Amino acid sequence: MHPILENRQRLALYLLAWIPIAAILTAVLKRGFASWAEAALIVLPMSLLYAFMCLSAWYVCLAVPMRDQTVLRLLTTLSIASVLSSAVWFAVGAVWTLSIEPWVDFQGLSERYNTQFTPIFLNGVMLFLLAAAVHYLLVTLDASRGVEKRALELQVLAREAELKALRAQIDPHFLFNSLNSISALTVSDPQGARSMCLLLADFLRTSLVLGAKQQIPVSEELRLVEGFLNIEKIRYGKRLSVERSVDPECDGCLVPPLLIQPLVENAIRHGIAPLIEGGTVRLDLQREGPAIEILLENPVDPHASEKVLTGAGLGLENVKSRLARLFPGQANVNVSRDEGRFQVRLRFPCIKLGET
Amino acid sequence: MKPLRIVVADDEDLARSLVREYLKDSIDIEIVAECRNGFEAVKAVTELKPDLLLLDIQMPRLDGFEVLELIERETNVIFITAYDQYAIKAFDVHAIDYLLKPFSVERLGEALARARKKIDRGEPTTTAALVAEARPPGTRADRILIRDGGDVHVVPMSRIDYVEAQDDYVCFRAEGKRYLKQQTLADVEAALDPARFVRIHRSYILNVDRLARLELYAKDSHAAILRDGTRLPVSRSGYSRLNTLIG
Repeated sequence: MHPILENRQRLALYLLAWIPIAAILTAVLKRGFASWAEAALIVLPMSLLYAFMCLSAWYVCLAVPMRDQTVLRLLTTLSIASVLSSAVWFAVGAVWTLSIEPWVDFQGLSERYNTQFTPIFLNGVMLFLLAAAVHYLLVTLDASRGVEKRALELQVLAREAELKALRAQIDPHFLFNSLNSISALTVSDPQGARSMCLLLADFLRTSLVLGAKQQIPVSEELRLVEGFLNIEKIRYGKRLSVERSVDPECDGCLVPPLLIQPLVENAIRHGIAPLIEGGTVRLDLQREGPAIEILLENPVDPHASEKVLTGAGLGLENVKSRLARLFPGQANVNVSRDEGRFQVRLRFPCIKLGET
Repeated sequence: MKPLRIVVADDEDLARSLVREYLKDSIDIEIVAECRNGFEAVKAVTELKPDLLLLDIQMPRLDGFEVLELIERETNVIFITAYDQYAIKAFDVHAIDYLLKPFSVERLGEALARARKKIDRGEPTTTAALVAEARPPGTRADRILIRDGGDVHVVPMSRIDYVEAQDDYVCFRAEGKRYLKQQTLADVEAALDPARFVRIHRSYILNVDRLARLELYAKDSHAAILRDGTRLPVSRSGYSRLNTLIG
């Protein structure tokens, strides 16, 4: 697309720039003519014409793009184009003066015009070169803007894809083991099998619905965690117990969906599951001034190999990057492990609905 | 027909009860033990010598692969898993039977029938060789498992001072204790972290953190002196390997 013609604002600016050019041209040529009026009669329409002729400098930009061209080729092309267009321009001017001569009072207009060949021609060449420079500038500007825009679009796309993947994360281990539990319960405890089916359906549906949102009140996330824990309690039986305390001040704080649930999942998978006797997962939500603090604690096998913990680290990286993106510079994720306890502490601003 | 004596190892009560229920009417199958973790599985195999072990991969203390490594020569194994991408790929490549949770009673029956055929022919149903492929990439084992009768010692690699080949066995030395394991030194070398352990001699692998100094005691022949004063022979190629590692 033509960098000036496609954009009305640019076209208006470009034509506006030609007004002082026309004035200067008139002043220059006035000396060769009888009067201001005579010079203006020739220069003004010629300027208007040349303004449009110079838009063709774009074809030079297309034919000889700035990158990977030798200076020599650029100069040659530009000189030929400018000399040609200026010559054409002068010739059109000559026809114009000749045709209006019978209608105006100025005697020998055409003759005087022809004596002005050198200044008119030189000005034409200069103006064309100037226009070419403007075109090159605009083309480069547009290209760099396009690149920037595309980079930005790509970034947004990548971010969206990442978020989608994060939200859609339902641990296949959890899913298949739960189905296996249902299969086991069908004969020994049909009621239990049905209620586990319902719990699982409810959990999957809720995580799909919540996962599609940007932010949700913390109470909804806690409901999801509750549903998840109810299923895990059936699977792990007495090995899993849960302690939780939620500060009522945290009500209504917005959190990214599926922030806490995957952490609880990690706590069970890497903390409780490897322990023969199981243990207690603790979840605390507290309000600390303008911030909400979420603490999750679980026991770990002191003899566990390190690889267990690197697995947990991956989920934590996700949480860190999500919080960092939502609350740049204001979110804090703290992980500690000592004496068989593993602790994750999240701290970020509590923003309530309608406060954004 | 002699009943097939099997052990079921899974940490979830419901998962074990499912297998029990599936097999309660099979007269040719006898469940001789149920185990809730890897230690119990190794103990049960040692004491009861079952024909077959139904082994869940994800278990506390020792996972299914670690159990397999310890009992490979003594019993046959069918793996059970909910979802382990890498393991399933490795099982398929090595034509090893496995059950995916949730599985049907028919599927379990098929797997048992196939295992019985292999057992009757004297073929093992699986080998520990696939374990390296079955684990997710980048997760090198960081501990050594040593069986002592029905018990299992877990020795973190960082505690090992050196390993010595002794006939059909290797002897791990860690914190003044000796642990014997039936394995080749080459297998041990492959399992250990090459950034820390180096084969200094045909019969020795050394943890370089334990090295105090090197002594020249004959032409072309060195001895490694450990922090605790132990002297180990260093061969010529071992010397150059040691030099590359510690610079």
